[in-house]
Amino acid sequence: MRHIETLDGHKRMSTQALLQTLEAAIEEGETDFYIHASGQHDIGGPFWNRQGKKLHFFLTNPGQRVGAMALPETEIVVQGSVPADCGWLNAGGEITILGDAGDTAGHCAAQGQIYIAGHAGTRSGSLMKKDPSYPAPELWILQSVGSFAFEFMSGGCAVVCGVDCEGPVLGQRPCVGMVEGVVYVRGRLPEDAQLHRENLNEEDKRFLGEGLERFLGKIGQMALLPDLTDWRNWQKILPAVHRPKATLSLADYRRTRWIQEGLFSDVLPDTFQSVGLAAKGQFRLRIPVWDNTSELRHCRDCHKCELTCPQKAIVRKERSDGSAVYASLDKACLGCGLCQSVCPEDIWRMENNAELQAFSSLDQEEPSAPSCADASSAEG
Amino acid sequence: MDTVNVQDLTVNDLAWVIDYHPERCVLCGACVATCSFGAISFVANKGLGSAQAKKGQGTARIVVRQSTDPSKICCGCGMCEKVCPNRAIHPVSNPQSREAFVNQAQGPRRRGGRGNLPKKRTLDAIFVGRISQMTDPPLDAERHTFDLRAPLGRVLAADKLPLEVSGQSLQISASHPPVAWIYPLIFSDMSIGALSTRAWEAIAIATAYLNEECGLPVRMCSGEGGVPQNLLTSDKLAYMILQIASGHFGWNRILRARPLMRTEPAGVLIKIGQGAKPGDGGWLAANKVSRHIQAIRGVPQTTLHSPPNHQGLYSIEESVQKMHLSLNQVFGFRVPVAIKCAASSTSVAVYNNLLRDPYRICGGFFLDGLDGGTGAANTVALNHTGHPITSKLRDCYRAATAQGLQGQIPLWVGGGIGMNADCAADAFKLICLGANGVFVGRILLALLGCVGNEHGRCNQCHSGKCPTGICTQDLRLVQRLDVDRGAENIVNFVLNFDQELKKLLAPVGNSSLPVGRSDALITNDWAIAQSLGIAFAC
Repeated sequence: MRHIETLDGHKRMSTQALLQTLEAAIEEGETDFYIHASGQHDIGGPFWNRQGKKLHFFLTNPGQRVGAMALPETEIVVQGSVPADCGWLNAGGEITILGDAGDTAGHCAAQGQIYIAGHAGTRSGSLMKKDPSYPAPELWILQSVGSFAFEFMSGGCAVVCGVDCEGPVLGQRPCVGMVEGVVYVRGRLPEDAQLHRENLNEEDKRFLGEGLERFLGKIGQMALLPDLTDWRNWQKILPAVHRPKATLSLADYRRTRWIQEGLFSDVLPDTFQSVGLAAKGQFRLRIPVWDNTSELRHCRDCHKCELTCPQKAIVRKERSDGSAVYASLDKACLGCGLCQSVCPEDIWRMENNAELQAFSSLDQEEPSAPSCADASSAEG
Repeated sequence: MDTVNVQDLTVNDLAWVIDYHPERCVLCGACVATCSFGAISFVANKGLGSAQAKKGQGTARIVVRQSTDPSKICCGCGMCEKVCPNRAIHPVSNPQSREAFVNQAQGPRRRGGRGNLPKKRTLDAIFVGRISQMTDPPLDAERHTFDLRAPLGRVLAADKLPLEVSGQSLQISASHPPVAWIYPLIFSDMSIGALSTRAWEAIAIATAYLNEECGLPVRMCSGEGGVPQNLLTSDKLAYMILQIASGHFGWNRILRARPLMRTEPAGVLIKIGQGAKPGDGGWLAANKVSRHIQAIRGVPQTTLHSPPNHQGLYSIEESVQKMHLSLNQVFGFRVPVAIKCAASSTSVAVYNNLLRDPYRICGGFFLDGLDGGTGAANTVALNHTGHPITSKLRDCYRAATAQGLQGQIPLWVGGGIGMNADCAADAFKLICLGANGVFVGRILLALLGCVGNEHGRCNQCHSGKCPTGICTQDLRLVQRLDVDRGAENIVNFVLNFDQELKKLLAPVGNSSLPVGRSDALITNDWAIAQSLGIAFAC
């Protein structure tokens, strides 16, 4: 056991001097330290014994980042409270704080155990993560945590026991952006927190049962075990199910939630059906008219219009006297005017189609096909 | 052969030339059929042999030909290209165009859309240059929570609020102006009439969907073209800001529906002017005043002109006393009433007057800038009138801060916001310069399928021949528009806007809107830096 006194009268050992002293001692084979610190930072990691022996640190009055980056086979016990960042980036150490922990306790811890015998500050447990090649990190807190705890947590396990807490045991906005891991909580949650909560299952109870016994043993509070193992007071927080992007389609919204029949049903009922950019029948902008009434020009029955029509919309009928009548079928014709352009006698003429007076239902659209008789009478 | 005169037009005189590849054309007819302008048609090519072909001797070569008839001019909308199965046809912008000199005989030229000459925008020379790094913590855009809300309504200073201590808490002891905290993006006022019923309904559906399914309290302004009775008597009215402009179209029916309303509207917007045609009133050509528009607006079929000013409104004070007071009264002083003007050299004077309004009933100052313009307007107005929005907003905001009155009458700005599709960036920069929120119109049309742009494509909003069915009342064209897909595009746009706005808030470290945080901005333009009072960087 190496005792290190960091104060010599009014002279204080710097963090750097202390850490270099520790490194040298560990290199020499020392494994047990009692350090009466005076606010020196980063005590506890990353240190390792070359023979793989366990390192023990007993600390009083340390500075920030106790056990930060601690490696496995490192055990740290702090008598009393610690400032921010204890167990930051913990890579396998066992860190026991026999008091409160400051902000961001266990921040980014990826392995090991952190036991806190009091409260922990804001953003504690934030970004805890699990490396798939190693055991998951654990963060045990006897009382409560501050706001933004477990922010962006992406693995591992945190336990907040809520002992002697009158208010909520988690501060405001806990678990924001949590994507993995689990937080066990005993006690009241903040009212506005949006959390995915579940009751404990048997596996949870087994894990907590074993873990609480170990935790309470470490912090000397075994008397609390019966109270803390009353599972009715516990719940667990899992990553929020990502608010699903609105899944109701706009079409379904319109059909089920929007004003029935649409905004304009009183003046212009809508079918909400749309037609293509080149539509037929009544949606045509222009229509062909076969007008064989001219004195000067006569249909020479050359079939060109009938043969070239891309929609095969032109029909030819023969009258009893052998002359031909041509007509265009509304439901097939696009109104492109190809018939007009190929007609050697300009018998086909394009006219503007009448505007619709109402939206049309495509299902019911049954434009009448002109009959030969119609065409005949049109011819006069 | 007909005599061709010097003044006759050829295709190369026009702004758009149809590039047609007969070797790829399968004569399917779709391009000619779809063209709502009648700008192309099939003709028998007068090539070698085709004269005989026309007479039935030989084979005619049928091709698509572009019209040079001034009433059938190609506007470059490109519907022909969309429907062509073989990429045989598309319009090409023609740098040789003499089109501006054509059609002079038909009276003042008109079009929809804003300036056609691409120009450098002030907002594009501004960057979010203050990134929180070592100084203060940035936020995480994906995972942190943000409070993206903007006020609509007269915000009282804390010491002017009627607060009383009651036991352990503060209580509001008297009535005070209504303030709605809404999403900082308003769907701008485009009337039924200017828009087709389907386009308007698609925007309304998207608005309701964003509120109910996405939790974003987006508001839509009705424009002044009547409001559907079905909406006035629906709960969805709560998302709608009703507009009153100088024509007062549809207000008779709004008032008649007043006792039937199940909820109150989100606000009332008094339109004094708009960015597309500052100093001019609304104008709806008779060809768009179809039967259903007559029914909705309560007007006969005629070209509808709104006067450039509100008749009987001759001063700022009168506007406050008459318009604000009366429209507050319509909804029992419970609904915010705001006012919209085209940005002008006089905007600061107007804003100062509103700020000093002793009745405290002006709930917002909407400024519409030079680049705004969904409305069909005279080309000369579109091209030559108006005031850029950015410096005018800044002037107004700084005038308010100089008096310690900033934030009391919310500043909402529009006019070309998101022209370059970076709507969130535009909004963020304007908010940093002092805006509380922005309103957008043109981008909504683009999301519905409008192909008009700043390079002179289409912009035929005034013609009644809108090929996408957005700005026409010809139901054959309107029925082309898919309401659900259009609304979905708008919803997705706002969801992306929300994400992108957070992406800009996060590095600045703000979880609420950084109104007036001009320290977040830098510009690489010295003159802009001087004018706006932001840091110059190079």
